[in-house]
Amino acid sequence: MENVKLNTLPVPTFSSLGVNFAEREIEISGPEHISVGANEQKQIIRYIDRESDAFTALDLNIESGADVKLVQVFERTAPLVSKLDIALGDNAKLDLVQIYIGGSDTVSEIGAKLNGRKAVFNADIAMKLDGKDKIDLNLVSEQFGKKTVSDIKLGAVLSGEARKIFKGTIDFKNGAVGAKGSEHEDALLLSEDVVSKTVPVILCAEEDVEGNHGATVGRLDERHVFYLRSRGLDEEKIYELMARSKLLQAIDKTGDEQTNSRIYKALGWGERDE
Amino acid sequence: MKEKTQVTDIDRSLYDFRYEEDESDFLEGGITPSIIEEISKEKNDPEWMREFRLNSLEIYNKTPMVNWGASIDGLDVDNIVTYIRPKTRMNKDWDSVPDNIKETFERLGIPQAERESLAGVGAQYDSELVYHNVREEVAKSGVVYTDLESAMHDPKYAELIRSHFMKLVPPTDHKFAALHGAVWSGGSFVYVPEGVKLDIPLQSYFRLNAKGAGQFEHTLIILEKNSYLHFIEGCSAPKYYEAGLHAGCVELYVAEGASLRYSTIENWSKNMYNLNTKRAIVEEGGKIEWVSGSFGSHVSYLYPMSILNGRGASAEFTGITFAGEGQDLDTGAKIVHNAPDTSSYMNTKSISKSGGKSTFRSAVVVNKNAVGSKSSVNCESLMLDRISRSDTVPVIDVKTDKCDVGHEAKIGRISDEAIFYLTSRGLSEEEARAMIVRGFADNVSKELPLEYAVEMNNLIGLEMHGSVG
Repeated sequence: MENVKLNTLPVPTFSSLGVNFAEREIEISGPEHISVGANEQKQIIRYIDRESDAFTALDLNIESGADVKLVQVFERTAPLVSKLDIALGDNAKLDLVQIYIGGSDTVSEIGAKLNGRKAVFNADIAMKLDGKDKIDLNLVSEQFGKKTVSDIKLGAVLSGEARKIFKGTIDFKNGAVGAKGSEHEDALLLSEDVVSKTVPVILCAEEDVEGNHGATVGRLDERHVFYLRSRGLDEEKIYELMARSKLLQAIDKTGDEQTNSRIYKALGWGERDE
Repeated sequence: MKEKTQVTDIDRSLYDFRYEEDESDFLEGGITPSIIEEISKEKNDPEWMREFRLNSLEIYNKTPMVNWGASIDGLDVDNIVTYIRPKTRMNKDWDSVPDNIKETFERLGIPQAERESLAGVGAQYDSELVYHNVREEVAKSGVVYTDLESAMHDPKYAELIRSHFMKLVPPTDHKFAALHGAVWSGGSFVYVPEGVKLDIPLQSYFRLNAKGAGQFEHTLIILEKNSYLHFIEGCSAPKYYEAGLHAGCVELYVAEGASLRYSTIENWSKNMYNLNTKRAIVEEGGKIEWVSGSFGSHVSYLYPMSILNGRGASAEFTGITFAGEGQDLDTGAKIVHNAPDTSSYMNTKSISKSGGKSTFRSAVVVNKNAVGSKSSVNCESLMLDRISRSDTVPVIDVKTDKCDVGHEAKIGRISDEAIFYLTSRGLSEEEARAMIVRGFADNVSKELPLEYAVEMNNLIGLEMHGSVG
């Protein structure tokens, strides 16, 4: 076991906010390597649950023209450190779907290197935290190649005394001419005891790029609640529906019925078609 | 004399002139207990202030340098002259100010601005205020606008200053706050009594003339209930090859129902390290508005902070940063929602050009007790070439569910279509680019007093000169 510094923010900020890095005592093991050859199509699904190790690492190399979907479902209730390193070649594409259901103390690090021209990285992440769940998620998308695109979306629902840190960085490197990057977080807070920290970073060393990020954090807009109440829904049902909608935008991207059924069950939503 | 409002093609010589200093007036460089004792003696500090300075020095020595933000490796604090003896006492009569100092401020347009549009003006030259004046009718309303040292020795205000000085920004806040506590000199004290609303602004202008020196002025403003004030701050220095340091401190106390607008145009020369700390605390129903333009300095760390401490208090921050060649400007704002139904709005623009680096850094903290609070942050960055850099590092820290926090940011370039359209209408490419940048900065210039808006537009014109190719 060693004390390891994880989830380092690429550009550190005010120390008092406690978002610059995370430190955990962990036993590090080598990553699982997956390489997807040129022009291949592949879907990879991983469940990280109570059977999994406390440290998991995946190194994913996607060669030119390959099209990959990676689905990771996190259901582990004990402390976890997860690392995911991605490299994308010319015209390579990765659709990453991550679903976090609970997590007593999860540190998750995603590093994507868009090395090739026109490489595409889409990340759809959903997070449902309750009780004393705690997650520190750090996603860094480094765009080296020309006309690369990254699109990062997080939907989070926090209740109980849950604590969440989401650090999302789009890093336009010099030379990434014509690159585009977008990042959005939508966090619904359902208890006065939750803590939600959001750090949407854009780093830019290239003129000809377009980047944007947005975040909305809090309860529902009172006007929306009023409208739905006027349609006969009670407030509890309204919040339940809204919580579902925040999570479904990622869950619907898994593209796998069996995985979705498992996620629905873990979330207590019953069967998929209910 | 140049008239600022009519300069069409401003050049840096407006700021870059300087007068030779008599170095026998300089205290030895560096920060030691004996230097601090000497400053304290020169300034005839009361005993509590002498102890405060020495205590701050101890904190300074124990506090590590910040480990984030722009590099300050080129700053050797041990070689900075922290205090320069003044050539003159503080004057209320402009004619009594020594000629070279008078000429400095006349070239910067300060006395003229006072005559035309200000309720009062203060001018600091190196370490001390050299001129302070306030209109008679303003003084009659009970408004106090004077240098901090005089106020500290006035029995009417001594206790008020003691109970407020560096209470919002304690020396333990960070290393340069501790340095400020140890060596501060000059700055203004403003007191606006309950219910008094000043229709025209007060202005302080800070000029650092000496090379290799630091300026550590302290601005303390206290607004009583339901009062209003617009305070303007301007800064400049001539260019030297040695690094200069500005580590000022601004503390603003806004009582219930009071409203304060604090405008700054910072145009330090590009050898300056601008490590300034500004903070406001706002009570129930009060409002703080920051308008900030950062154009100068080699390195800046500037994040005005608003603590919304009473129900319904609000803060607005409007800022622009223009980082050109050799500049690393790390700017932004911090807002702490610490009471129910508070609201904040942050709107910033940053422009990077010719290898300059601008970083927007912000923090919006919504504490557990800030139920019903709302916050909106909007930042836009414009890259004018591919050798520059623009980073955006916002943090949103929310500790209650009953709030509504939004954040939006965009980064991009000037579109070729816009340039094409404007050139087809007869503008040169350089004029077209300057016009687009001025438009980009429009929301900030609209918030500035007219003469400052003109100056800002001229500065943009100057910075954009030669931007094509």
